[in-house]
Amino acid sequence: MGSLKSLECEYPIIDSDFQNFCASHGIFSVEDILIHDLYMLVAFAEQQSTSERLKQGITQILSIIDGQHQPWLNGMELLEDAQQNKQVLSTGCEGIDMLLQGGLCVGHLTELVGPSSSGKTQICLKVASGVATRYMGGVVFIDTGNSFSPLRIAHFINQIPDTIFKENILEKVMSQILCHSVFDIFAMLDVVHQLEYSLRSQVQTGADQVRLLIVDSISSLITPILGGSGSHGRALMISAGFLLKKLAHEHNLAVVVTNHMVGGEGGILKPALGESWKSIPHVRLLLSRDPGSSICHMSILKHSYMASGRAARFMI
Amino acid sequence: MELARLPISASQRGKLISAGYTSLSSLSSLSPSTLAQDLKISDNEALEILRVVSQGSRLDKPDGSHAIVNGAQTAWDMLHEEESLKCITTSCVDLDDILGGGIKCKEVTEIGGVPGIGKTQLGIQLAVNVQIPVYYGGLGGKAIYIDTEGSFMLERALQIAKACIEDMSGNSDFLQKDFQSCQVKAQPKDFLQNIFYFRVCSYTEQIAMINYLDKFISEHKDVNVVIIDSVTFHFRQDFDDLALRTRLLSGMALKLMKLAKKFSLAVVLLNQVTTKHTEGSFQLTLALGDSWSHSCTNRVILYWNGDERYAYIDKSPSLRSASAPYSVTGKGIRTATSKCKRIKIM
Repeated sequence: MGSLKSLECEYPIIDSDFQNFCASHGIFSVEDILIHDLYMLVAFAEQQSTSERLKQGITQILSIIDGQHQPWLNGMELLEDAQQNKQVLSTGCEGIDMLLQGGLCVGHLTELVGPSSSGKTQICLKVASGVATRYMGGVVFIDTGNSFSPLRIAHFINQIPDTIFKENILEKVMSQILCHSVFDIFAMLDVVHQLEYSLRSQVQTGADQVRLLIVDSISSLITPILGGSGSHGRALMISAGFLLKKLAHEHNLAVVVTNHMVGGEGGILKPALGESWKSIPHVRLLLSRDPGSSICHMSILKHSYMASGRAARFMI
Repeated sequence: MELARLPISASQRGKLISAGYTSLSSLSSLSPSTLAQDLKISDNEALEILRVVSQGSRLDKPDGSHAIVNGAQTAWDMLHEEESLKCITTSCVDLDDILGGGIKCKEVTEIGGVPGIGKTQLGIQLAVNVQIPVYYGGLGGKAIYIDTEGSFMLERALQIAKACIEDMSGNSDFLQKDFQSCQVKAQPKDFLQNIFYFRVCSYTEQIAMINYLDKFISEHKDVNVVIIDSVTFHFRQDFDDLALRTRLLSGMALKLMKLAKKFSLAVVLLNQVTTKHTEGSFQLTLALGDSWSHSCTNRVILYWNGDERYAYIDKSPSLRSASAPYSVTGKGIRTATSKCKRIKIM
């Protein structure tokens, strides 16, 4: 939380008098208060002439600390939240919807992993166009490989039944889909923070609410910094993962990221980004495509409440 | 932790956290000298850190417009922009067809094939074709050719440029266009003047070159294509640390993507092939491994089919997978006719 000095602007009760009092007991930052014996501190404060203000200051700091953690929720509140806010978004592809028992879960981080040219970007584009059309929700597409193709999106939108009959639907739906190109991890974190800020501050009603965030592909942002000397690459990867999960849960979004595969032992392909990343997404789906055909094969590697190993075949 | 999203070095971050600064707001109203004293670093370093912090916190508030995210475009706007983007023709009708008009700008296209299939020829053809003036349907731009293998031949480029000019004037006579400006006939030498050629001899030079391209292209705004022939050469031999190779390659791929997007140019990477042992059989795949295969927007594989040269779209976000024949003639890359035969080496 930082030093007591920096809190002075926001909380005028923590004035220099209070800071001097704390300094005389060796307390310079909020962390120091946490490890200090509070009863002793209050007792010392009572002996001072300005005891009321000092005690108010201590209470203020304790309330700041209290505001830092998420509120406690019991099981019933969580269930209510899940039933009311966390719906399932259909992906637009029947095979995937059947496999996932409805589609993408809101509040979950879903990872699509597969070798090159297996259809990951195509599925992302299809899901984006589906969510924008069916739920009239906003979609934010973070693109790292210049593979966002508006033509393909228009094509998918026209494929959805009933859309051809409504006029101007194409413009309306495509204006809901925002695409941002990023080329390094810090830029992506900036975009996600901006999104979080605007979701928190704007009161969003029905039509414009962002429902889906897609990052294609997160592995191309993380691979240049992973490994080497120092573990800050891995730390960035894990904090990015947690940020996406937090965004999904607090603002009721579905988040989809794509990952590629690398060679493992014996030449068998395995998902990139290593062991630490494995536990971060809620749902991991493995994609593959028979060479030369347009039939994709998808299986569940990991899911919160479904057995892994279930598979489906479908066509894009 | 908020500090994790700032692009500062790990040691600076460590010093900030141990001094008690863990959020952006605690740093926003600080003066550089106070920060320098607290962290025991130089004034310049403190100034640098505060500059990064102010950039970060400025981005947090989207400016005036109701854009949710700064710098994002809606798909509708991009659709209209895409319609006005031109493609670089390859001079082969079938190939242009499967590519949707030609090599697209704002995208990174990887072209790979066995030795002798015509990759360098295609590269030189594209470097010439990008200079076709706008009134003939081209881009009228310049080309950057980064040569890592030394396979760029001046005489061949001259030959291809001459053939291109002949084709253009042949077309203009046919269409009876009456432009005063094109009465001055273009010379093959002018075409060569618009190709910026760089020769790199090691992987460090290659990475330095790509880092330098940003500055170079800002000064030469009419560059429309960057061709790297071949992107794999210096990374294949004698690279002991494979993890380092992966990091360098993926970093390079991101920089090229950024260049393509920022300056609206086409980036063409020529790649070699290697054999891969999968499921008991040997397959020819593009070099540099699986992680590199995700670093391009489109991928085209050139292969022999009997005696004919074929191109196959392996990866593309908007194009269908298809094959098309082409041929390499004295004039450069042209549409295949049934007479073209592979020269058999006895």
